[in-house]
Amino acid sequence: MSSGKLSHSVAIILKALSLGYQFGFEIMEVTGLPSGTVYPALRRLERDGLVSSNWEAEDEALKEQRPARRYYELTKVGKEAEMTAVKRYPLLSRLLPEKLVKTL
Amino acid sequence: MSPMTGRFNSQSLDPIGVMIERLLPIAGRVVPQQKRQDWVKEWQAELWHQRHGDRRVWRERGVMHDAASLVYGLVADAAWLRVDWAREMVLGSAYSCLWVLAAYGLLCAAMERAAEDSWHSFFHVLTAHFFGGFVLVAAPAIFAAVATYPLRPLRCNRQHPGAKGFLSTRAKWNLFLGAKVVLTLALGFLASLAATGPARMLVGRYSDWVELGLYALAVTVGLRWALLNQEQRCQKCLRMLSQPTRVGNPSHNFLEWSGMELVCADGHGLLHVPEMQGSWCWYDLWVERDLEFDLEF
Repeated sequence: MSSGKLSHSVAIILKALSLGYQFGFEIMEVTGLPSGTVYPALRRLERDGLVSSNWEAEDEALKEQRPARRYYELTKVGKEAEMTAVKRYPLLSRLLPEKLVKTL
Repeated sequence: MSPMTGRFNSQSLDPIGVMIERLLPIAGRVVPQQKRQDWVKEWQAELWHQRHGDRRVWRERGVMHDAASLVYGLVADAAWLRVDWAREMVLGSAYSCLWVLAAYGLLCAAMERAAEDSWHSFFHVLTAHFFGGFVLVAAPAIFAAVATYPLRPLRCNRQHPGAKGFLSTRAKWNLFLGAKVVLTLALGFLASLAATGPARMLVGRYSDWVELGLYALAVTVGLRWALLNQEQRCQKCLRMLSQPTRVGNPSHNFLEWSGMELVCADGHGLLHVPEMQGSWCWYDLWVERDLEFDLEF
């Protein structure tokens, strides 16, 4: 996916990831985008190398009495794409709040 | 209810939650098998969060609306993975190459048929132009292409350990090359015929000179493409090699190897293409992945 052709939804998802939101529902919550947009977009971003994913350690999840999550994070290329997106959509920075606390 | 949900679920599920939980394994069948387990696990974790997490926007638009949106997301995600997997499988494969050539050929034939009055005149034009012009150009061009094709050791000169089917890898390789050349030439012929159709109606047989020129161009370019395309395919699965990477420093050509490396996306092997041919590397070198190495480690 070329960074020059980022859609608004993808730009918001990249911005959410850059702010520390790490998994699908968390991104849905903060962006207000539906699951039908967020998950396929995450898959496409991962396929195109803008995002990488890894599984949370089982023991950490067990401590909080919940199943392990798949966490997504921006790659180097993804960070560059996110910066391009912010330049293209300047209001993006004001749209999403910084993640302050760890989500349960 | 899945074991994972039961393990972490401290509250009884509402009917909509139960429905979504039941839908998960059904939608999971759409996901390619190699990704299915992870996909189900990820969605179970996400659904857990939806029920127990500190949601801020959930149910602002109504339970049914949110549930429908979630079900759509679940199915859309599974479908996306299936479509992407199918795209990956088809992209660059030998089958897709032949299908695309055949489809373009049929399209050109359909255009030519539309320009003719009847099937009889269509076949008459095809036969007359094929034997009266195309063969005269194609035969020497094919001869020249084969005669000038660089001789080198066959890359696929042995049966690959993981090869399936009754045809050997070499037979598949030759069969694919043959089919591709035939379809490329057929496409060149039909495209030239369709392109000169209007001129044929206007100036009659004088358009044959233009047609001969187009035949020569189509045959030369088509054969060249077919042979080059064959060079850039995996020796085992015939898929197009990808991820071209430059290796070595061109200014060190006399000191060390430099050139381009391409890999098979399915991990069957690697093709080294030298920057400059020399006694150390006369030809492109195909390095197949050693299956015994995989078994050892």
